[in-house]
Amino acid sequence: MAEATPPPADAPLPATAQIGVDSWVSEADERQARHTGLWGYVARGWDRLPPAGKLALVTPAILIPFIPFVSSGNLFNYGIFILIYALLALGLNVVVGFAGLLDLGYVAFFGFGAYTYAFLSGTHSEKGHVYTHHWPAELAIPVAVVVCGVLGVFLGSTSRRLLGDYLAIVTLFFGQAFVVFTNAADPYGITNGSNGLANIDNLRFSFFGHAFTIASVRAYYWFLFGCVIVVLVLLHLLSESRTGRAWKASREDPLAAEMMGMPVNRLKIMAFALGAMIAGLAGTTFAAAQTGAFPQNFSTQVLILIYAVVILGGAGSLTGMLVGALVIIVSNQVLDSTSPPQLQRVLFYLALMVGFAWLFRSSWKKLVTVVVLTIGLGFAVHAVAAEWWPRGIHGPVTSGGFLTGAIKHWVLLPANSGRLADYAYLLAIILAVALTQLKGWWRVAIAPFLFVITVFVWENLLILQPAVTRYVLFGALLIALMATRPQGLFGTARVEIV
Amino acid sequence: MIATPQPRLGSLGGQYRHRLGSFGGLGIALVVWALYAVYFSPTQGWTFFLQLSVNGIILGSIYALIALGYSMVYGILKLLNFAHGDVYMIGSFIGFGILTLFGGALTPVMPVVLLVLIMFVVAMLGSGVLGVAIERFAYRPLRNAPRIAPLISALGVAFFLENSALLLFGAQYRNYDGYDLISYNGIHLGGDAGVFVSYLGVIVISSAVALMVALVCLVRWTRFGKAMRAVSFDREAAAMMGIDPDRVIAKTFFAGSALAGAAGVMFGLLFSQIYYLIGFLAGLKGFTAAVVGGIGSIPGAMLGGLLVGLVESWATGYLNGNVSDLVVFGILIAFMLIRPTGLLGSPALQKV
Amino acid sequence: MLKRVGAIAAVAAAFAVVVSTSAWGSAKAPARSAAASKSIKCGKVRTIGVAAPLTGPASSIGVQQLHWAQYFVKRWNKAKANKNQQIKIVQGDTQLGVDTAFAVKVAHSFASNSKMLAVVGPAGSQEVVASTSTYKGGGLGWVSGSATRTTLTDGHTDGNRNGFFFRTVPNDSVQAPAVAKYMTGTLKWKRVYIIDDQETYSQGLADGVQKILQAKGVSVTRNSISQQASDFSSVIAKIPANTQGVYIPWQLAPQAQAFGQQLKAAGKSHSALFGSDGLFSPDWKIAGSYDSFFPVNTSDATVQGFVKSHGGDGQYFGAPSYVAAQVDTLAITKACKAGHGKTSRAAVRKVIAKTKLKSSILGFPVSFAKGGDIHSPASFGIYQIQKNGSFKRVG
Repeated sequence: MAEATPPPADAPLPATAQIGVDSWVSEADERQARHTGLWGYVARGWDRLPPAGKLALVTPAILIPFIPFVSSGNLFNYGIFILIYALLALGLNVVVGFAGLLDLGYVAFFGFGAYTYAFLSGTHSEKGHVYTHHWPAELAIPVAVVVCGVLGVFLGSTSRRLLGDYLAIVTLFFGQAFVVFTNAADPYGITNGSNGLANIDNLRFSFFGHAFTIASVRAYYWFLFGCVIVVLVLLHLLSESRTGRAWKASREDPLAAEMMGMPVNRLKIMAFALGAMIAGLAGTTFAAAQTGAFPQNFSTQVLILIYAVVILGGAGSLTGMLVGALVIIVSNQVLDSTSPPQLQRVLFYLALMVGFAWLFRSSWKKLVTVVVLTIGLGFAVHAVAAEWWPRGIHGPVTSGGFLTGAIKHWVLLPANSGRLADYAYLLAIILAVALTQLKGWWRVAIAPFLFVITVFVWENLLILQPAVTRYVLFGALLIALMATRPQGLFGTARVEIV
Repeated sequence: MIATPQPRLGSLGGQYRHRLGSFGGLGIALVVWALYAVYFSPTQGWTFFLQLSVNGIILGSIYALIALGYSMVYGILKLLNFAHGDVYMIGSFIGFGILTLFGGALTPVMPVVLLVLIMFVVAMLGSGVLGVAIERFAYRPLRNAPRIAPLISALGVAFFLENSALLLFGAQYRNYDGYDLISYNGIHLGGDAGVFVSYLGVIVISSAVALMVALVCLVRWTRFGKAMRAVSFDREAAAMMGIDPDRVIAKTFFAGSALAGAAGVMFGLLFSQIYYLIGFLAGLKGFTAAVVGGIGSIPGAMLGGLLVGLVESWATGYLNGNVSDLVVFGILIAFMLIRPTGLLGSPALQKV
Repeated sequence: MLKRVGAIAAVAAAFAVVVSTSAWGSAKAPARSAAASKSIKCGKVRTIGVAAPLTGPASSIGVQQLHWAQYFVKRWNKAKANKNQQIKIVQGDTQLGVDTAFAVKVAHSFASNSKMLAVVGPAGSQEVVASTSTYKGGGLGWVSGSATRTTLTDGHTDGNRNGFFFRTVPNDSVQAPAVAKYMTGTLKWKRVYIIDDQETYSQGLADGVQKILQAKGVSVTRNSISQQASDFSSVIAKIPANTQGVYIPWQLAPQAQAFGQQLKAAGKSHSALFGSDGLFSPDWKIAGSYDSFFPVNTSDATVQGFVKSHGGDGQYFGAPSYVAAQVDTLAITKACKAGHGKTSRAAVRKVIAKTKLKSSILGFPVSFAKGGDIHSPASFGIYQIQKNGSFKRVG
């Protein structure tokens, strides 16, 4: 974004639009948004960093969370999944971010890669057919990637005739057809139906006579890390190249791009194919790490997760993919039934504080008022309940570390919270939606009620089913992001040319 | 060249020449299939074919109601509302809640007819309100955003609704026990060994038809229907003519979602078990129906629903339960590639 | 230029990292099996895991298994002699019927739980198959109270888990003949329609029963539905009107209930339904249907104590899980004593394999064969659903 005549940052806007600097005028809003406050400062600094610098900053950010989590269980849960989803997000970024095509069947390529690798590296028998292949990884992975690429070309070729919504439909059904194909149709027992392909080999490489196997969790982690770096660099070079620029042009206005001589159809197919190949690579490693491939590993839930990563990070931005993967997958794994409740609490209250700060970022006075009111309201409600409804505060609390004591004194914990918690959940949604419509001090007035009820719902309903809560949160995140900041954290705001 | 189809809502007359082609092709395909199925396939006989067809029509009425919601919303907003299937699911749960409130299927506290009526009305109202709320808070802020934004928002809403239902209602299946409520008996066409249509099936088909007729009357003969058609044709011109597009859009969402709620109650009564995931698959099938019939066209949605129900029933009967979904999806993809505007949709316009 | 150099340097570094995983790889390859023989301190409280479908469509049977395992642990912990050898249960929700991947996730979390010594479960045969390599990699032994597919213990068809997997129920090579014998001997059926639900447990059982019935001259037709199906009208339309019985060895009781209702609504209720042990649940209440189920000694004092403490509800599907928890606990206690307060998962497994219980609530002594099957004299019992939904033993 070249600023033709950059006036000082604090200069007022010109009263009338001036000929020759209209583009500067039209970007004024965005510049205003970027220049305010701490976030603007950080954003400007980030923009000025060279790509290598950005990479250097983000790489330790991926590694740092794992220093305390050194056990292999946590490394599997967090590290490997973050890297897998980062890979997937990078691939989807090519299709959605670079080329602007909505691909809702992306998870099918992930699944194809996983199933191809699982088929080529394991033994299974079903429906009277026995399949025993034990191909080494240096053969199996390229074959899986190429198969996915061919499929990507095939799906991309449907985009020749279809635009926007219709492409979304076709790709969505392609993704569904994949699940049905592996789960139910299962011709000749290739995919082993709903039982999936289990007990497949680890990655076995043999280069120039030196053979090694990637078997431990740590080895998978470093292997995936290498893959992410390679793909990252590849995509960066690509986005700065002619192809990348052509993609961006065809994303903004396909007709104009066609006029400029870019082969738009071929570009679309290329985007699909590249995205599919990256997903295939992620799929092979995922299958090997999990030692199995099951149909529901590639369901719509996974698709929504990948989209949450891409949208949160900002479609079109590579660093955004990594950061988005970090945020979403850490939340996803923390809010899991096998995670300790302390961690879930920490995450929740952290998110709540971020919510406070975001809602009242414009005025610290309002922020302080709301925080004080919320705490006060909580104690007040608790005291009232202690007087008139003692059964309301002596219920079970999910044990969890240092916060349990504080929670016992601040939150209502009814003994039999089922129905009440459900209604409170609905009330919380209604209040949250109402809050988005209010401005100013009205918002300050309603917010404490919302936060107290939210904490009540969390302690009595959500923390008991963390695995479901996270999907609710991701759905709400998608809606909120699209309504307030469609470009995500690192993306660039786009205006659709009608 | 870029082809941007501009389907129109509720064009119930006109352009017969174009339609003749689609109807002709469809008719021939159906006749050929019927002959093959009855005389040449491994499972022969008219009884089996007709039984499957009856089952398909019952199933198709449910899909048609869902497809109508998709078509109406697409016609008026050019938006694919992925959350529609989940509105259907919520409708079925609301119906179940009413059923349980009034004693349950085995021991209802009021006459069955009244109970079923109340279930329908409350479910339709509840789903309608939910649809309006979704439009107001998830789609209205995105009226002027790039086309991709409301689609992703719709995905988010769908996900949110599904998992909220899981959170609030749990993962276990709830049973309507519809046959216990109404009756296990039915009509035997052609003697005892002939085609059997249960009374519940008859009720489902007739109420679906009644709702569809009501909708057509609404669109064709009321002022609101005219406003709906106007907004779907050209929103800005309609605004200039004094029609408030926001209100019309909200009411359209209400109507479409109410139909989905009714479909949810019908599904519950017929197939008994409801859980949080039924919206997803039904939404896909309803979607297929809307596209096959011509998205944006109301008669198209009805025809598409019927066709999808029939095809699914035939595929399950003659092939296998496993591949019936694949067949339905295959038909959708084939239509999208060969004839994206569907059977009754308007022909594509060129963008200049 | 600098950008290019930086990029190429990054690629080279990444490649070096990838290659260096070879050092990690071959050096760390024994890491997985090392977990098996790693020494674990027993302490006063020992941990076992219970993997069962606690939510989802099969939750009615999973919760029963959990309750019975908890009942055993409660009784064990109450005994004065066990003051310094208490047992703690860690639950894992495998959500059978939703997604087998949950079972794998539970397996991972159990395997990486450094205190866990043995596992009760998982419930479904497909879950056993899917989580085998994870449990084996972690060196854990697991005792299932309901996975009955015959090939789980033959050592080669679905993988080899000898010495790791045990079950406290007779397998389908006992269930299938019992079912077929009742169908041909007592019910005297000549035309049977078999529908499986495409899971490995169901297919194995259906195959077994079909083979025996056909050998006895019964005319059998076979079909299948998926666990996600809710519209059975087309499948029901295919069932010939003169079918005497429909055999549905499914895992999800609510699905069987809906199927029975739709069958009746299609006017074919003269064909009786026959289920299997997966359907032994209060969610399936089509009166007059038959069901085969594991043997449980209902006159045993412990069983009656459970029934009394749970408000008259027997929850018998979980009874074998009581025995599984018992086997696990006794093995851990013995291994800890032998290792003077320290033991390993491999040692516990070896003790499980040598279990010899003189009596159990199943009504017979417990000991395991080489593959992990239980030596069981009794056969499967045949039950019939009464008008009030309860199961009554008829054969």
